[in-house]
Amino acid sequence: MLLTSLLLIPLVVALLCLVARQRILLEALNVSGFAIGLVLGVKLFRTVLAREGAAVMEWGEFLRADALSAWMVLLISAVSLATALYAVNYFRRDLAAGAVTAQRVREFYVLTPLFATGMLLVVLTNNLGVMWAAVEITALSSVLLVALYNHPTSLEAAWKYIMLGSVGLVLALFGTIFAYAAAASPAAGMALPSFNWSSLLAMAPQLDQKLVKLSFIFVLVGYGTKAGLAPMHAWLPDAHSEAPSPTSAMLSGVSLKIAIYALLRFHILTAACLGAEFSRHLLLGFGLCSMVLAGPFILTQKNLKRMLAYSSLEHVGLICAAVGVNAPLTVFGALLHMGYHALTKPVLFFAAGNIHQHYHTLNFRRLGGGLAHIMPATALALGVAAVAVSGLPPFGLFVSELTILAGGFASGHAWVSVVMLVSLLVVFCGVLSKLAGLVLGPPRADAPPRELVTAGRVAAMSLPLVVLLLFSFWVPNPLRQLLERAANIIRGTP
Amino acid sequence: MNPPATEVASRLITLLATLMLVFQLLLVVQQMLIANIRLFALQSLLLTGIATVVACAYGAWHVLIVAVLTLLGKVIFLPWLLQRLVRRIKIEQEIHPFVNMPASMLICGALTVLSYVVARPFTSLARLGSNTLPVALALLLTGLFLMSNRRKAITQVLALLTTENGMMLAAIALTTYGMPLVVEIGIFFDVVVAVMVLGILVFRIRESFDSMDVSKLNELKW
Amino acid sequence: MNVDLSAAVAQTALLLLLAPLLSGLIKNWKAKLQNRRGARIWQPYFDLVKYLRKDMVISEHASWIFSVTPGVIFLTALSAGLMVPLVTANAPLGLFGGAIAVVGVLALGRFFMALGGLDPATTFGGMGSSREMTIAALAEPAMMLAIFTVATMAGSTNLGQIVLAGQEPGWKFLDAPHALAFAAMFIVLLAETGRIPVDNPATHLELTMIHEAMVLEYSGRNLAFAEWGAAIKQLVLMALLTNLFFPLGLAPVVTPAALGAGLAFFAAKLLILAGAVVLVEFTNAKLRLFRVPDLLSAAFILATLALVSTFLFR
Repeated sequence: MLLTSLLLIPLVVALLCLVARQRILLEALNVSGFAIGLVLGVKLFRTVLAREGAAVMEWGEFLRADALSAWMVLLISAVSLATALYAVNYFRRDLAAGAVTAQRVREFYVLTPLFATGMLLVVLTNNLGVMWAAVEITALSSVLLVALYNHPTSLEAAWKYIMLGSVGLVLALFGTIFAYAAAASPAAGMALPSFNWSSLLAMAPQLDQKLVKLSFIFVLVGYGTKAGLAPMHAWLPDAHSEAPSPTSAMLSGVSLKIAIYALLRFHILTAACLGAEFSRHLLLGFGLCSMVLAGPFILTQKNLKRMLAYSSLEHVGLICAAVGVNAPLTVFGALLHMGYHALTKPVLFFAAGNIHQHYHTLNFRRLGGGLAHIMPATALALGVAAVAVSGLPPFGLFVSELTILAGGFASGHAWVSVVMLVSLLVVFCGVLSKLAGLVLGPPRADAPPRELVTAGRVAAMSLPLVVLLLFSFWVPNPLRQLLERAANIIRGTP
Repeated sequence: MNPPATEVASRLITLLATLMLVFQLLLVVQQMLIANIRLFALQSLLLTGIATVVACAYGAWHVLIVAVLTLLGKVIFLPWLLQRLVRRIKIEQEIHPFVNMPASMLICGALTVLSYVVARPFTSLARLGSNTLPVALALLLTGLFLMSNRRKAITQVLALLTTENGMMLAAIALTTYGMPLVVEIGIFFDVVVAVMVLGILVFRIRESFDSMDVSKLNELKW
Repeated sequence: MNVDLSAAVAQTALLLLLAPLLSGLIKNWKAKLQNRRGARIWQPYFDLVKYLRKDMVISEHASWIFSVTPGVIFLTALSAGLMVPLVTANAPLGLFGGAIAVVGVLALGRFFMALGGLDPATTFGGMGSSREMTIAALAEPAMMLAIFTVATMAGSTNLGQIVLAGQEPGWKFLDAPHALAFAAMFIVLLAETGRIPVDNPATHLELTMIHEAMVLEYSGRNLAFAEWGAAIKQLVLMALLTNLFFPLGLAPVVTPAALGAGLAFFAAKLLILAGAVVLVEFTNAKLRLFRVPDLLSAAFILATLALVSTFLFR
């Protein structure tokens, strides 16, 4: 019942929001729905830990949650809750300023739970075909969110997003079909083979090797597009910068990682069939490519949210590359990094949303500097999150990046670690110099008046940061166990 | 070894799949928007035919549901929807591709040969009709080419749909009996919803830009 | 194998008589689809008789080529027709040449037609000829490639052999190369017979006309032979298309029953193909002249793919 209710709650919220009249009701439904989701996510986390390695299954074997899924569920529900909390004040202000219509706000509150449902279905389903369909649901619901403001630029971003995303998803479905055909081909007789990931994994050595290879290449390009891996990342900065800030937070915070998750499931399957070398090298190559590519774009970026998007590209690349190194320490570090990044990036986007609402621009030159004077609360959150996202101590991202780098050196991938280190340094310089100028530099003469700080806004913005700080210093033992188990699943070592 | 009925079915599937490819190439040369939509409908009809043949010849009755869904969705509903959209936003009928027709035909021909070559090692697997996998790949590749070669939003949607036809072909033919029903239905509804979402976007783009020329969407760079 | 004289006579008679009927049939069906009553299907016969009875007007600037052309068109079409299996698997003149000869003889007729269009030095004739040759330059390679595809599958360029190979059990003709080649040939057929996406056969008054522009200067007996020749060429091409790609029902032996069945099958196949042509004409608009090469390049690519795929499979 646990998995089912996890899926049903956001779905019910979405349906209720479709008929709910008052705005306050919409907000309450979203926040409470996601809060329950987080509680259930924690419960799932405990259940999975208690099962000692066995997965939680429901509806026959249709829904399945192992340590990896449980970790993703935690990330999704945490980020959705943070987003819902922030969205309340964000859209109230937008409505007051006349930037959106009430109809569009309702659209947001309907589509966001749908988006979350899709992501939860991706990580909870056992069936690879259904997983594809769920990824498509997330793409379709988020594309309308990206186009929410209906500006020419946001429509352009949405169009690029849906076109590239659809192409990617068609390729991913081809890959999925090939994986299925690989199971159907070896003289299996006339019986329809199961499309469940777990049963495919069980019969992995008997799969048709050539088809599995072909399948992984298609899936890598397909889900890789959705994850924004370079060179298929063209949609990513557009969609992230043009979407409303809460949606940007969801996209960057979890949606990219959901695509990585789908990719990982195929990686595990391919590794079980062909040995780890084939798929891990591909992941490593694409991951490093994304990391190296992100740096120059960040250094020359003129738009705050686009810069944040490229920073996401960097982190996604790091996660992929770390999995590609395939050492125990790096995979663990990658999972940890997913979590820390999911807590940090939304804060940055929230701050960017506040800035946009206050200044009506995100261009660094037109923003000028002096954010610390004009919007002190936002500036503080932005500064702290920027320090965190650049990988400085004492924040968790420092720990996870250090873990990955150390793992790389220890497992004889010194050059990989060096490449990672260099590109991280480039990004570090880029992000910090831009944001330091914005926060601490001299304000422009035509800067808007000082922002009125409300407690609600500050709380919504800083809550993830507090959690981040907490977990930066203290990774509780059960969580460590869960991550280790998830890392073992990815590495194929029980 | 095979009973004759299976043999004929396999040949029929090959034939229909090849005809799908023919329609795809005609789509590449066809310049009129409405005719493009009709060609897509015909191509989907052939897909329906393939699904029906598979269902009848192999007694895989759940594939028949796929056939019915394809018929209702891709042959009737989506073309109707797209035609309505075309009428409502009153766009110019002629398509102006980036690459001229003979060159794009040559490219598509080359892509088809490429997919034949790529699929060669796997053709023995495609037990229903030996040529369905290369045709599916060719539909995918030429569809992707079409998408990048067309300016208008609706034609890009059509190109996307043809790649999806190729995918369904692979799904039905390559995996012997198609995929489990829940997956097929999931895919089907996703495709339909995707086209509706795309339709909404096309409509909004048309309203904001006064045009469907997607190459005008070039504000966002880097 | 000797040239069977009676078979040759019979096939000649069939070609001569059936060709105008087919043209009339297509015109009539087209009219019905357009909600018109249309001319009777026998109308082309009456037209031919009428033309034959009328005087000829020949431009004083015209040379002997102008007068010879209708005869050449008529005879080349007829001799090509005698090399194509219509009702029996063996064509009467099958011994003299296979697929390449058919294409070559038809090309000869086309060459003279273009000359005949140019000869009286009128503007329309010249335009028609230049267009005809432009189209032919694209259509003929496509046709050759398509025929080669079938020939490769059968292992012979002799049309009789090809047809017999296709008749083997197993329905080998339901095949990817065949389907692609058929599609290419169908487009070529539309171009060669001046059907709608390429040329409009129902007009004498368009700047973009091709076939009609070339025969514009002809009258009387010359016009009769030119039109009759064009009708026979259409029948030959359609027969080529039906019998090469669907060799069902061709009489393998010369017995009355087999011949009857062959004739019935042939008629049925022709009717279906004519129906397809009419549908295409009905549902499409005429292409701009500059777009015609696009369509023919499609045929060319299809034929190339067909040929390539014969080598890639198996």
